Amino acid sequence: MKNLKFYFLAIIFSISIPFEGKTLNEIVADLSQGNVKISTNFLGAKILLFGAYDGKQGDDIIIVVTGPKGLVTIQKKEKIFGMWVNTKKVNYINTPKYLSISSNRPIDEILEKRTQKLSQIGLNNLNIRVQPGTKIDDNVGWREALTRNMIKSNLWSINENSVSLNKNALFRSYLNLPSNVVVGEFEVKILHYRNGSLLSKEKNTINVSKSGFSAEIYNIAENYSTLYGIFAVLLAVLIGWGTNLVFRKF
Amino acid sequence: MYYHSYINYKENSMYIYLPIAEQPIHSLVILGVGTFLGLIMGLVGVGGGFLLTPILMFLGIPPPVAVASVANQLVAPSVSGVLSHWKRSNVDFKMGSVLLVGGVIGSSIGVVIFNFLGKIGQLDFVIKSSYVIFLSLIGSLMLLESLRLILRKRKGKVSRGKLHQHNWLHGLPFKTRFRKSKLYISILLPILIGILVGILAAIMGVGGGFIIVPAMIYLLGMPTSLVVGTSLFQIIFVAANTTILQASQNQTVDIVLATILLLGSVLGVQIGAKFTNVLKGEYLRLILSTIIILVSLKLLSDLITAPSDLFSITINR
Repeated sequence: MKNLKFYFLAIIFSISIPFEGKTLNEIVADLSQGNVKISTNFLGAKILLFGAYDGKQGDDIIIVVTGPKGLVTIQKKEKIFGMWVNTKKVNYINTPKYLSISSNRPIDEILEKRTQKLSQIGLNNLNIRVQPGTKIDDNVGWREALTRNMIKSNLWSINENSVSLNKNALFRSYLNLPSNVVVGEFEVKILHYRNGSLLSKEKNTINVSKSGFSAEIYNIAENYSTLYGIFAVLLAVLIGWGTNLVFRKF
Repeated sequence: MYYHSYINYKENSMYIYLPIAEQPIHSLVILGVGTFLGLIMGLVGVGGGFLLTPILMFLGIPPPVAVASVANQLVAPSVSGVLSHWKRSNVDFKMGSVLLVGGVIGSSIGVVIFNFLGKIGQLDFVIKSSYVIFLSLIGSLMLLESLRLILRKRKGKVSRGKLHQHNWLHGLPFKTRFRKSKLYISILLPILIGILVGILAAIMGVGGGFIIVPAMIYLLGMPTSLVVGTSLFQIIFVAANTTILQASQNQTVDIVLATILLLGSVLGVQIGAKFTNVLKGEYLRLILSTIIILVSLKLLSDLITAPSDLFSITINR
């Protein structure tokens, strides 16, 4: 019965979603399979997450979406002979290539600083390490540069007040995937807090993958790289030759 | 707790997602850039590669992808150009083959240097600074040449054709006869020129026409009628070699980007070639040299102005 009520509310919710951007052809699809496809016309995606929770007045919801983790390189420029040249670099390992933290009100009001740190909520509370063996002069400066640049690339974001709660029973939030999003497994964590302590949580994954034409080209370029190169040349030769045949008659 | 999710794709059929550059771009922008460069090639005769790569970088394509994809696109207008010149018997295949031996060696070396620069994180800087040097040099030489021609024509003097002069370079060992070019010179000289141009071609994503054409005229002393066709002939192989090596070693050739560009450029070349007799060459060169100088100034200012953030990130795929 509870399930039925939830779906009813969900349908009403999804109908009332306003869509912005008139030049874009927006396609709304069920994400129940948990797959985001990067197709030939991909300009990014907006994911609506919504659901029901068993809550009381004053409860909070935090949604953390973490993309695939890996190596991120930061380079620092210095002025040499009047030109700005990359001189130093630091590799960070275990770095999420996408991270979005959304909440219904400022996180500092929901959780104590210590809890934020322990549960790795916040862009500066992540378990990210400098690649072993790297000499680093200014730990804080580099780490801040990482956060700053990831935010600038639209890959990391803190969206406080972006989760809307309704009647202590429903939540709704949007997730923005930029066009430069990395493919892989994205972990979605929905955390339900009461008075600063975790009451329940829900975990799921979204799989971001390339699909169709662009995916095939990418795969061929990666796996059959020499053949791909030869094919690219042959295609160019054919087109060059073809135009010559076509235009000869004029 | 229950939850459900819906996805709302942002799509636009005018945009095309470049699979290797991993970003969307407006297809008409790329087609327009290709056509514009093709027009220049058709009108002026030199390749547009040296303008195309910087323009792609301005559009936000990562420099390694820009360089490799331009090498790919250059194959098409070069094939098309060689076929037209061949019909008019304007290609010295023997000289072209010697040049391309050097070119293939040079472009292979170039790709190795390219990889090394990528590893030490200096690729963007080297690509941009070599463009600043070459574009400003070529731009100002072209500007002076066209101004000189315009002034001379105003005065009513007719320019005399250059005589073919011998220099010490021709006297190196392994002298060979190039019947078509009416030359008897050392084979080492064209090979050496080929190697140098090949290295530059691989690193900068150019055909090298703007270097090899003057080198063929002034260093080799080839007849000007044969120069363009022969240089295009060798560019096909240098560009093809660079494309295959870049694809196999760095996976940086974006075939979608290259194909849209080359469709535009082959079209532009044909349109441009039809108008060569209508527009005056020296005025065209004046316009082109101004564009080249502006592009090099823009690249220079990118290198010398303090970046808003000293740090930059690379996300390793």
